[in-house]
This record gives sequence, structure tokens and C-alpha cells, in this order.
Amino acid sequence: MGTENPGRPSFPARTAATPFAAAPPQNVMPFSSSGPLVGSEASGFRPTPPAAPQPTVPFSSSGPLAGSQSSGFRLPPPPRYNDPSVPPPASNVPPTGGPFQRFPTPPFPSTVQAPTSRVPPVGQPIAQTPAPPVSFRPQPQIPPVPMGAPPQSVNSAPPNVNVPYSVSDSSFPAPMTNFQSSFPGYARMQSNADLQPPPMQSPFPSHQGGYAPAPPTSSTPFLSHQGGYVPPPPVAAPLGLQSRDQMQYPGSGAPGSIQGLIEDFSSLSIGSVPGSIDPGVDPKALPRPLEGDVEPKLFSEMYPMNCNPRFLRLTTSGIPNSQSLASRWHLPLGAVVCPLAEAPDGEEVPVVNFVSTGIIRCRRCRTYVNPYVTFTDAGRKWRCNICSLLNDVPGDYFAHLDATGKRIDLDQRPELTKGSVEFVAPTEYMMRPPMPPVYFFLIDVSVSAVRSGMIEVVAQTIRSCLDELPGYPRTQIGFATFDSAIHFYNMKSSLTQPQMMVVSDLDDIFVPLPDDLLVNLSESRSVVETFLDSLPSMFQDNVNVESAFGPALKAAFMVMSQLGGKLLIFQNTLPSLGVGRLKLRGDDLRVYGTDKEHMLRIPEDQFYKQMAAELTKYQIAVNVYAFSDKYTDIASLGTLAKYTGGQVCYYPGFQSAIHGEKLRHELARDLTRETAWESVMRIRCGKGVRFTSYHGNFMLRSTDLMALPAVDCDKAYAMQLTLEETLLTTQTVYFQVALLYTASCGERRIRVHTAAAPVVADLGEMYRQADVGAVVSVFSRLAIEKTLSSKLEDARNSVQLRIVKSLKEYRNLYAVQHRLGGRIIFPESLKFLPLYGLALCRSTPLRGGYADAPLDERCSAGYTMMTLPVKKLLKLLYPSLIRLDEYFLKASAQVDDFKILEKRLPLAAENLDSRGLYLYDDGFRFNIWFGRALSPDVAMNLLGADFAAELSKVTLSERENEMSRKLMRILKKSRESDPSYYHLCHLVRQGEQPREGFLLLSNLVEDQMGGANGYVDWILQIHRQVQQNP
Amino acid sequence: MVKLTLIARVTDGLPLAEGLDDSRDLKDAEFYKQQVKALFKNLSRGQNEASRMSIETGPYIFHYIIEGRVCYLTMCDRAYPKKLAFQYLEDLKNEFERVNGAQIETAARPYAFIKFDTFIQKTKKLYQDTRTQRNIAKLNDELYEVHQIMTRNVQEVLGVGEKLDQVSEMSSRLTSESRIYADKARDLNRQCW
Repeated sequence: MGTENPGRPSFPARTAATPFAAAPPQNVMPFSSSGPLVGSEASGFRPTPPAAPQPTVPFSSSGPLAGSQSSGFRLPPPPRYNDPSVPPPASNVPPTGGPFQRFPTPPFPSTVQAPTSRVPPVGQPIAQTPAPPVSFRPQPQIPPVPMGAPPQSVNSAPPNVNVPYSVSDSSFPAPMTNFQSSFPGYARMQSNADLQPPPMQSPFPSHQGGYAPAPPTSSTPFLSHQGGYVPPPPVAAPLGLQSRDQMQYPGSGAPGSIQGLIEDFSSLSIGSVPGSIDPGVDPKALPRPLEGDVEPKLFSEMYPMNCNPRFLRLTTSGIPNSQSLASRWHLPLGAVVCPLAEAPDGEEVPVVNFVSTGIIRCRRCRTYVNPYVTFTDAGRKWRCNICSLLNDVPGDYFAHLDATGKRIDLDQRPELTKGSVEFVAPTEYMMRPPMPPVYFFLIDVSVSAVRSGMIEVVAQTIRSCLDELPGYPRTQIGFATFDSAIHFYNMKSSLTQPQMMVVSDLDDIFVPLPDDLLVNLSESRSVVETFLDSLPSMFQDNVNVESAFGPALKAAFMVMSQLGGKLLIFQNTLPSLGVGRLKLRGDDLRVYGTDKEHMLRIPEDQFYKQMAAELTKYQIAVNVYAFSDKYTDIASLGTLAKYTGGQVCYYPGFQSAIHGEKLRHELARDLTRETAWESVMRIRCGKGVRFTSYHGNFMLRSTDLMALPAVDCDKAYAMQLTLEETLLTTQTVYFQVALLYTASCGERRIRVHTAAAPVVADLGEMYRQADVGAVVSVFSRLAIEKTLSSKLEDARNSVQLRIVKSLKEYRNLYAVQHRLGGRIIFPESLKFLPLYGLALCRSTPLRGGYADAPLDERCSAGYTMMTLPVKKLLKLLYPSLIRLDEYFLKASAQVDDFKILEKRLPLAAENLDSRGLYLYDDGFRFNIWFGRALSPDVAMNLLGADFAAELSKVTLSERENEMSRKLMRILKKSRESDPSYYHLCHLVRQGEQPREGFLLLSNLVEDQMGGANGYVDWILQIHRQVQQNP
Repeated sequence: MVKLTLIARVTDGLPLAEGLDDSRDLKDAEFYKQQVKALFKNLSRGQNEASRMSIETGPYIFHYIIEGRVCYLTMCDRAYPKKLAFQYLEDLKNEFERVNGAQIETAARPYAFIKFDTFIQKTKKLYQDTRTQRNIAKLNDELYEVHQIMTRNVQEVLGVGEKLDQVSEMSSRLTSESRIYADKARDLNRQCW
């Protein structure tokens, strides 16, 4: 309902200014006026070594890097080192790094520190002459324009400066070095610890990577750039710089110098000729994400004021500076946003209430005030970091600036120091008073629903959650049930028990009562409880097999349309009556492989999409719970969830005895987790880039406004970015996610996450800063969307193709120079990409064909994967496999020894020892695999007398022995660490077919299975394709 | 029959609470809400208004009372007895002051007392039907006198500020024009000499 820009047109950021606009977004007032700064920024501290090519000058940033790092590394001492006046490199790192972080551009800290560094003339063509060492003071004759301009302008101001980017390799380091200067920590470390191997993610390796492709001729300048990394004589490459990965995959025959250069990527040697029988790959050497998801550190370290990566992750934190560069990045370029991600205890998003001033936003692009805006004009103006417009500071928000340009009230302004804040929304952000949380339940009571026991579990669960529903005392609740007719329940608080009203006219649906179908929970509590207690018995003798789902949905919509809220649908039969009736179009083997295949996976009836659009408009989110053992057309039903920001939970062949616990847990979580109501979300980004496509469960209200009737912590949204201008002129791109929502307590809030990412000119740098989790997340959403318009095989091929293309591009970048002929190389940051790609192709929505997954399961898994946050998705794609028996037998007394959960095994059958007991955990279920030769003691301890029985009929429960308690503790711990879904536990014995097959074996993604590749084959196949010439 | 109910702080027009599904069956709910907002704004500008007033608008009529710097406003059909409407507002006022009285001045965000909407809802239902015994009794109750409450038209009320603005604008224009006239006249005078 609310619009994020109340009454004001929103200006796209890109209209902002010409590429070379003189006004740089991050103009930092105090500095801008002073020559030295700029100068220093341009020159950096980098003592110009004689050989240094001038083009680097513009990228001042390269300077600081060299300066700071150089000290630590032994290197041919360039003249600067002799110069006593050079500040010790360590000091380049401003001790006061903290405060400076306010300024978006990394170079700043250093500039502040070392205004004395010499200033080479900006934009001047290559000056081989070393800048006079004496000139540590700013050169007065520096042209004022570039001086006044903050860092980016260095790129933008003189057009010719850009040239080096594309022309000369030597300029590449520039952007990277930027980053460097931004983590003082790193620099410091470097200076102290000589030759310490930098962490993989650190810019250093990247730096060198950037150099690598350089033609030999230009090598001299490079070396000088690099300062200490690689001393001019390549032979002397310090071993310490070798990447861990290099060592892990031995076999690189590259000479030392090359090792030094290629440290930022991993390589695998593939010994044999492609195509020969012997794979020639050591399966053990292949990279595996056994530590699970690792959040990109670089992202937050480079810009400490960025929001936490659990809220926003970019597929690469290096934004390409040109369209041509972007087109060489064959992976998705975009972001995954989880606006309400659960924070660990004690970490809360600060709430800010601008009572008197109204929320401070940019006049033009409507960006919210954030840590990256800069204040100028003695604090009277602020510059928007996204569109660089100069805004007035409202009188009540005014604060003086201190000597460094910071506001003196900074420590009381979380919105200026934290990447994530919440603003209390004033009335302009409301179309109506904040709505109360509304829960409406639409429950199938046809015979199959009764028999499955679903109704009972649902009624009990809802009843047990009544106290925990958010929003007391305003929470509203209502119920309707349906079979061939629709039953409404009058829950008026004055009644002692609910009155049922039956509407059987399905063609002309009407609501029998204007009020009291949706009631205030606190007032009608006893009536609601009476209803839930009697619901299971009310229909226990129902023999109706029909399902008037469509009309019931319409009726529920009519009841809810006043307020909006959450509609929970419990569906057990294929809709058979009234509008929206669905055919048993079924899962037809013959359709697979034809052009019509995808039709199975999209909604059959337009009714569902139209209905979803209506529901969204009235702020209603639909969660579909489906239970049937037969085909229920999840593809159609799921549409309701897809466009309303809801979710699909599918329990195929539901039986309360088996699945009851899972349903209980997941429904309870759905009802009690913190939910944001009637929300809209928008992500803004700096000029020159634009988000063009969005992927997940929502409805787009305008080109970039996502309508989300309900959002919670388990939902993430992905979006892709494109460059609008051929060349980006800024050094940093800012992103801002704003979610306007009503909290359950009735407050309207705006949650704002802000992040900055550097613009890079080098493909290698993009790879280096890639975030495999985000890449895979966007990837899987794209692939699942593709299954809706083409064959499964096409979708899988497109995944493979993109991986191949990107690796090929990467190879072109490095392989030739390093004579890596037979080896497959991939960026360190993306070393798991091939495996995740394989896992994606073998995930439920994409795997195999007709026989490999039932259609409904395929569709529901697809809907689920479209909403999963990164961490959960990766766990689902590459589940954990843990050996338990050894742990049980160990007589360790430590009760909470959960280290075992971290000892994950590669997902291959060869790791399953028939004497062992294994736990497989994909975030949605546990499979416990009993080896054939497992000691009977263990089995008996865990299963009691049933240990020899068929395991499908055995349920696990805690028994009176240490082993069983240990197991239960482990399961409990795993469930607690991942509460969004309940892990249902399946037990399976080795060789017990077909259960072993579909429970475990088909999920061991590294094994060859049916027509699908194993990991080794997959790598070989990709390698072969990578090596093929286009 | 009560259509809308709004409670706002007079000093700054900040909405404090509002009836929940008021706009049901009401076609132009948005339009009337806008009018109400304009009205609140007028009140917050400190134009001295009576503490009880009825304002006609289209087929409906606003009734409001101002008490303790809080304005309680409801919109009813014209046919709805004025007496009942004011009784309804009195009920709201008593309860609102009892529950939230202490925090009214410090409320910093809109709809800070949105929880009050459940009470509004309940009370509204009591007043829904004018023919219930309870309401008839209230109507007959002579204690509560509503005759002297003034009834005005919404255009009139909302137009007041506008007209005042116009007058002050005209007078300031007059001042500046006459100054120009004086200057010119002096110039002319000088030239003549």
C-alpha cells in the first residue's frame, strides 16, 4: 500500500550527470579544498620508481598500496626507499583508520595521513623521470580542478586517463590498489610480516594477477609497481607467496616467478589427453566446499561500513567499469538480498526516528542518508553518494564538522555509521494506518485430507501457536474450510462456540457475514480455541472427494481484502470444482524431451496468476501447504505463492505419524517468525549501473519496485545488474536496499542496507572478488526460471555453458603466459563453482528427466529454491555428510563436542564405509545411513529391538544409552543451527533398495548416477570444453 | 452509521489512531481521508476553532471534539443523529485519555496508539444501529446538549486559511507596489525639476 516515494517522482539515478561530471559523488569537503590531498591521492605514496609508467598516476590508489606494502617486502629498493623523508610504510596506514572509514574512497585514509607524499602531475603522459624525492610536499602547481576533485574524479576528469585502463596493462593495478589502502589492517600486517602469504582473498594476489597478462615488454613497470611482491628478478619469487591452493594441488610446474604470479588462482593438473579413459584427475584434489558457505570477507573489510553480507551479497564485489568488461564476465552480475536476515543474538539493527526533520533523503534519487554520504559547506550540505547531488541539510539535522570533515555528532548517528538501519516512517509513507498481523487459514477437509491426519496436526499446531502469534493484541485470525462447498465460521467474541455457515453456490461466491469471519484473536480467543479443538472431529466422517479450491480462494480473498495479511492454504486434493479447477495433466513421460515439456511446470490456468496479482494488490501473501500423495499440480498452486511473496511447502504422501513433526515445526515457524507486512522493496545503485531483472517470489509493481505483502527472515531475492553507460567513471558503486514495511507491532519502518563496491577495470580483479555463494544463488534462480520456458536439459546445458565460458575467459587471461597447457585453472574465489554447478544440475528441480523426480516435487523444490538465502541454498546443493559411528565409540566425555559436525565428507559413495554410520543433512532432512557391516551394537543401541527390521518403518527416538543420547544431541544441534525448516529423519540401510537410491545415492552429487556426470567427469568435460577453441 | 474514525494530536496533526477497516463499503474513502488530513492541518495551525464542531461534506458529515489537545473525529451519514455521534466521540475520548493520556505529548511516530483501534472497532459496533434500546435511550437523554454545536461546510472551513493567505498576499503586494509607486513618483519629480 505504501509507496516508497510518497507523492514524489523518483528519478532514476542514471539521469544524474554526465559521465565526466565534475562533481564527484564522494566529495569530501575538508579535503577537497586542499591541494596536497588531491595530489597525494593521485600520486599516492607511491614513490615513483624511475621505471614507473606514468599512466598509473591517475590511479592514485595504486600508490598507497605500493607504499604500504612495499616496506614489508624485500624488493629492489627504488629510490624512494633511500629517501629518508619517506614516511615509514606502516605509517601510511592511518592509525585513525576508524574515523576515516566514513569516506567512501579507500584512498582517503592514506591521503589524509600522508599529504606530504609527492604529487606527480595528474594526467601527465608517462613521465619516466622519477618524481623528485624531495617533493613530499604537495606540489603547488597542481591544476586545481583535479585537486578539488575527490578520487573518482581522477578517473573521470581527464578523459585520457581512462585510456590506460583499456590500453595498457600497467594501469590495471590501479583499482585493486584502491582496495588495498582501504584495509589498514592488511597493510599493516604486510609491513610487519615479511612475505607472509596473504590470505587468498586479499588483494595482493589479485594484484599480481592483474599483472600477469602483461606482455613481457611492459614487465619492468609492473615490477616496479608491485613494489615488494615480486622482486624484479622473477627467480626470487618468495615461496611464501604461494597460495595455499597451489600447494594443495601440487603439480604446477611453473617456475617460481610464475607461481608468484598465479597465486590467485587454483589449478588442477589433468595429466592425460582429454578423452582418454584414464581421467588423469586426482579426485581427492578436487576442491570441495566442506566448510559450507563462507561469507565474502573482502566485501566488508574493504568498506567497513557496508551492511553485513547476510543482508546483501554481490556476485562479485568488483563492479566492471565498462560494458565490454561486463560482457566478458559470463557469470551473473548481480546481488542477493535477504532484507530481514536473522541476526545473531545481541546484534540488532538500530532504529532511528527522525521526528522533527523527516527522513533525510536525496532530493533527486531518493537515496536515504547513509554512512557514505559526505557533508560539506561546514555541515550545511550533504552530497548524495549515489547520484552525487548536493542536498541541503535540514536545520534540525545540522551538526558542525570537525577538522577532518566528520560531523561532531557522528557517534550518536547510527544512520551515518552503520550499513544497516531502520527508520521510523512518518505518515507520508502510509497509505493507511499500519495493518495488524492477519492470519487466515483455508483448510481442505475433503476425505483425503481427513485420512492423512493433516487437519488434526494443523489444528493442534495453530492452537499451540496462538500465544506466540506476533502483534498482540491486534492480531486477527479467521478460518474457512472447503470440500465441494465452502464453510465459513463466525467467531464473534460474544459467542460460546463458532457458527458454521456453508456456501455451496460456487459460481457466485459471496461472503455470508460482513464481520466476524476475521476476528481479533485476543477478544475471540476462546471461540477460536473451541473451533480448533473441534475441527478434526467435525469432518472425521467426511467422504466428500471434491475440492472447490478456486471458489474457496476467492472467498478467502473477499474476507481478507479489507486488511491484507497472510493466507495459509492447506491443500490435499487436486482442485476439481469451480473456477481454477485443474486437470490431471499429470506427469507424462512422452512429453519429456519435447518442446512442450516446460508446459508441465507452468500454471495451467490463468486463474492462478490473475488471482495472485489481485492478492498482492490487497497485501495478501499466500503460503501453500500441499500434502497429496497424488498429483496436485504444484506448478499451478505454487503460482499463488510465487507472486505474493509466499512459499510452498510440499509434504508428498503426508501421513501425520511420519510427517507430523515436520509440518508442526514448519507451520509453527511460519506463524511465529517475525514478519514484515504490506511491504515494498527497492534497490538503488549508483549511476551508470541499473538493476534490470529480479528473481524470487514477489510481484514487480513498477520497473524496480518489488511488492511483498509479507517478508520474513527466510526469504531472499536476487537481482541482476547491467551497465547503462559504456564506461563507468566512478571508482565506487553504491547499493542501497530499502524495505518499507509494517512491523507486527504496528510500526511502519524502513529498513535500509547500504553497501559500496569498487569499480574495477580488470577482469582478473572481478574474478578475485567473486562470491561463489551469490553467483550460485543467482545461477540457480536463472536455471529454475529457464526450466519454465524450456527443457530441463536446456536449463542444465545453459548452466554448464556459462561455467565453461567463464572458465575459458579466465584461462585466456592467464594460461598462455604461464604455459599451463594441460591444467584446468579457475579463480580461487570460484573454485567451488564447477561443483556447485554440477550439484545444481542434479538438484531436484533440474535433475534428469521423467523418472528422476516426481513433477510435483520438482516444482515445489523449484519454488523453494527461488526463495532460499545463500547459505541454505548452498547447503541444499552440497549437503553435509558426516560419519557418526567413530564418534559414538569414542569414549569422550565431553557432552557438547559438536566438532564432529564440521568434519564433512565429500559426497561420494566411496566415502561410505560399510562399517560406518553416516548422517546426511541437506538442511531439509536427515538421512542416516547404516552400513551393512555396522556393528550390531551400534544399531541396537540406536534403534532398540527394531534394529534388524526394515528401516522405513522404524522411527528414531531417544533410548536409554549414551550412544542414542549422543545421536539425538547431534540431531538437535543441527536442527537448532538451522531452524527455518525441520529436518525430518530418514533411516536407511545399505543396499536397501530403492530407498537407499532415492534417499541418498542419487544425492551424492560427486558420483556418476544414471545419465548424470560425476564430479571427475564433469570437471573433465568442462575442461575439455574450456580448451576447445571457439 | 459511523464511516471513519480518526484521532490526531492537535498541536502538529500527528495521527494517533484510526479505526481499522473503516473504509469498507466506502467508495471515496481516500478523498475523505484527505479532507480530514487537511482539517487536522488547519487545526494544527492554531486557527481558533470551537472544541466541538460538525462539518458537512458531500453526503456525509464530520463531527469532532477537541479535548486535551487531541482531536477525535468521526465521519457519519448525514442522517445519523448528531447526538449519538458526539456520544460516540465522548466514549472514545474517555477511554483514550484513560489508556494513553500520559503519553500523548511524547508520541513521536504516527499511529503510536494504533492498538486503540480494537476499542474503536468495538465501540463503533455499539453505535452502528440507531434503533437499539441503548441508543434510543441515549437519544432521549436530554443531559447531553448538542444543539449549540455549530455546523459548517467543509469548503468553508478548509477555505478559511486559503482566503486569509490570499488577503495577506494581496496586502503585501499592495505594499510593495505602492513603494514602487513612491519611488517612481520621486524619480519623476526629480526629472521634472
